[in-house]
Amino acid sequence: MDLNEKELIANLKSSGKKEGAFQVLVKTYQERLYWHIRKIVMNHDDTDDILQNVYIKVWKNVEGFREDSTLFTWLFRIATNESLSFLQKQRRHSVFSMNEISEYLADSLESDVYFDGDEIQKKLQLAITKLPEKQRIVFNMKYFDEMKYEQMSQILQTSVGALKASFHFAVKKIEEFLEEDHKK
Amino acid sequence: MKEQDENIENPLGKLNKEHPFYVPENYFETFADRLKSRIEDEEKSGRKKTLYFYLKPALSIAASIALIVLLINVPLTKFPPSNQGYLSQNQPSKDSVDSDGVIPVELITYFTEGQFLSAVSEMNELDKRKLSPDSLGDYIAANYNDYEIIANN
Repeated sequence: MDLNEKELIANLKSSGKKEGAFQVLVKTYQERLYWHIRKIVMNHDDTDDILQNVYIKVWKNVEGFREDSTLFTWLFRIATNESLSFLQKQRRHSVFSMNEISEYLADSLESDVYFDGDEIQKKLQLAITKLPEKQRIVFNMKYFDEMKYEQMSQILQTSVGALKASFHFAVKKIEEFLEEDHKK
Repeated sequence: MKEQDENIENPLGKLNKEHPFYVPENYFETFADRLKSRIEDEEKSGRKKTLYFYLKPALSIAASIALIVLLINVPLTKFPPSNQGYLSQNQPSKDSVDSDGVIPVELITYFTEGQFLSAVSEMNELDKRKLSPDSLGDYIAANYNDYEIIANN
């Protein structure tokens, strides 16, 4: 934790400086958090809602931040949990017989107007929606964000070995999906 | 090995690693302002909630008490117990019983016929005399022996 971050946390916890420090926090992390959430829930509108929820949670709870991790790790952990909770709610509240989150994600992808990938990128995204929850998150963080396993381990609170295994299985499944799709 | 794991080459070959999503124009530029207004809205509604939160237990207790009073009061006033209705129709009212010196009917059920008659005669005898400490002492001395007086005390 560097000096700037310590100062930022101290200001976030001080009632007189909280608002200014919060603006800095939002500006610093909003893009990285946005893309992290977007890769989990796919759709822009859902991502926007979740990102706001994440920052509102931070605003309400920053006084209780224990500083045993960096702000970045703490924020990413909240964002991951909020995104997964959102998907669970979608599954519970769905009026259709939607048993798999992957169906919701595939629908979101199809209807997302803020997608400008080519056909092969769309197939890759569809393959990612077929992955189990944990593998999907690990794949996105490693493949697209190129995050280090150590950092992922702190955010997801999972051992490095388990993360490596998850990424390995995710790649295998995506390859199989793309091969099958190619044969069609 | 660790180095190899971290610096992964694209395991999916020729696939583009760039993320194919984008955001609406000026999304990140306006995000902080939208967030700020939402936090302000939440804090306003939170204050309203807090007032209700503190009043809620008191309101619940008041409503429960009102309901209990209502549940007890309405049946008693609308549907009086049947024996009370019978007594009120067939017996003098409590006031008239007291003023006329008549023994309330409810008491009769606690005595056998013999006990009742002796109690009535004793009461009539007592009524005839003017009760004073001396006359009460004379009555006790005349009607009870020493053993009965000690045993009853």
